[in-house]
Amino acid sequence: MPVLIVVGVLAVIAIWLVSLYNGLVRLRNRRQNAFADIDVQLRQRHDLVPQLVDTVKGYAGHEKEVLIKITQARTAAMAATTIDGKIVAEQQLTTALAGLKVQVEAYPDLKANQNFLQLQEELSDIENKLAAARRFFNSATTEYNNSVESFPSNLIAKNFGFKREIMFDLGEDSRKQMEEPPKINF
Amino acid sequence: MSMQYIGLDKQIRKNNFNSVLLLIAFPALLLAMLYAIVYFLQKEHGTDPNTLFLQSAPAVLGGVGVWFLIAWAGHSTFIRMATGSKTLDRTENKRVYNLVENICISQGMTMPKVYIIEDDSLNAFASGINNRSYSVSLSRGIINKLDDDELEGVIAHEITHIKNRDVRLLIVSIIFVGIFAFLAELAFRSLRFAGSGKKSKDSKGSGGIILIAIVVTAIAYFISILLRFGISRKREYLADAGAAEITKKPYALANALRKISGDPLIEAVESRDVAQLFIDNPKPSVHKSASWDNMFATHPPIEKRIELLEQF
Repeated sequence: MPVLIVVGVLAVIAIWLVSLYNGLVRLRNRRQNAFADIDVQLRQRHDLVPQLVDTVKGYAGHEKEVLIKITQARTAAMAATTIDGKIVAEQQLTTALAGLKVQVEAYPDLKANQNFLQLQEELSDIENKLAAARRFFNSATTEYNNSVESFPSNLIAKNFGFKREIMFDLGEDSRKQMEEPPKINF
Repeated sequence: MSMQYIGLDKQIRKNNFNSVLLLIAFPALLLAMLYAIVYFLQKEHGTDPNTLFLQSAPAVLGGVGVWFLIAWAGHSTFIRMATGSKTLDRTENKRVYNLVENICISQGMTMPKVYIIEDDSLNAFASGINNRSYSVSLSRGIINKLDDDELEGVIAHEITHIKNRDVRLLIVSIIFVGIFAFLAELAFRSLRFAGSGKKSKDSKGSGGIILIAIVVTAIAYFISILLRFGISRKREYLADAGAAEITKKPYALANALRKISGDPLIEAVESRDVAQLFIDNPKPSVHKSASWDNMFATHPPIEKRIELLEQF
């Protein structure tokens, strides 16, 4: 009889541990799936950038530096393969594009160009969608991180290689708080 | 920053549970009613009620089952007919589509279909039972008269209904209430027929029919009222809270509700059963007494909802 009780208790504990593990896997997969939504928008942005650069070139030739920066950022972003790598590279592209938005203020002809206006509208549309996808990704990441760090699932996480993952945000500060900044080779 | 505001998970579980409960309770209630009718009929003739019950039960269950399946498969068409909604053209209404799409992306949801009701008043509703049939319907008036933030709030409210599974539970209950309403109507007709017809040779038999008709009608109405109450009106507050959580702009939804409360009447909407779907009751009030309205209202008072949103 006591043996049966011990076996029963052990079985319950085992089931509990397995469900903790599965919970972590589910959350990690959800974060990865959430990134797929982001990826769709990122790819559209990559397609749009060359057209934008071409259009701007005709009007604002001496803003070469900004345009080169954008093209480089795009190339780097497209070359990134991991989620973490993409996050960092895409932030560069976002910054570069924001820089362009400021620069074009000085060119009224460009701002009146129908083609440019349309591209800009498309870009802002993509960026709105990107922001929405980022919100979902970040909440999925938060949920996963909470699970990785809080007791008792943190015990499982430590032993089976579940690590805290980074968020997709635009701020630089929260990035520095991460214990291990991802290494990116440009 | 948490994934879901407190209460949503609980609401989803509760709604799923209630849907299953309804699906089980309804056939059980129907069989109980059938047994009662058979029992009274047989008592007058002195035969065993069990045999007749066992004989007629499969037919009744089958009939209701077919009805339910047809309603389940065709509900979106029926609702669209009852409300007069049409598919919203994507190219012409980029603004609406963008709002819906962005909210869905931020919630990691499949995008529902978007329909429009060509009506100048302000109202909206969600319906559907699965990813394929989920839809959000907006009136022309609400699209034109609300600004982006306000419309976003309204859409987020409807999306929350879908996410909470409120809509699925509602559809199930509407189908059931519809079946009972049909039975009640049938009973009423036979009651009138039996009452107005000349005194027949078998006055005892028509007395039995009248009794049964009264019982069936009373039970059907009672149950449909219970169902309407069982589907908590709290869901509107929860959907408002969910919308505020999604958009982070509770004041915009409060403004939208204020505008909606000025003119929520959709002339095309006749049925009170469909009325429960909307963001605010689309039917004009028929009763003067406020407490009567409150007791049988499909929606909580909009002032209360605005007040709660402003406390966020």
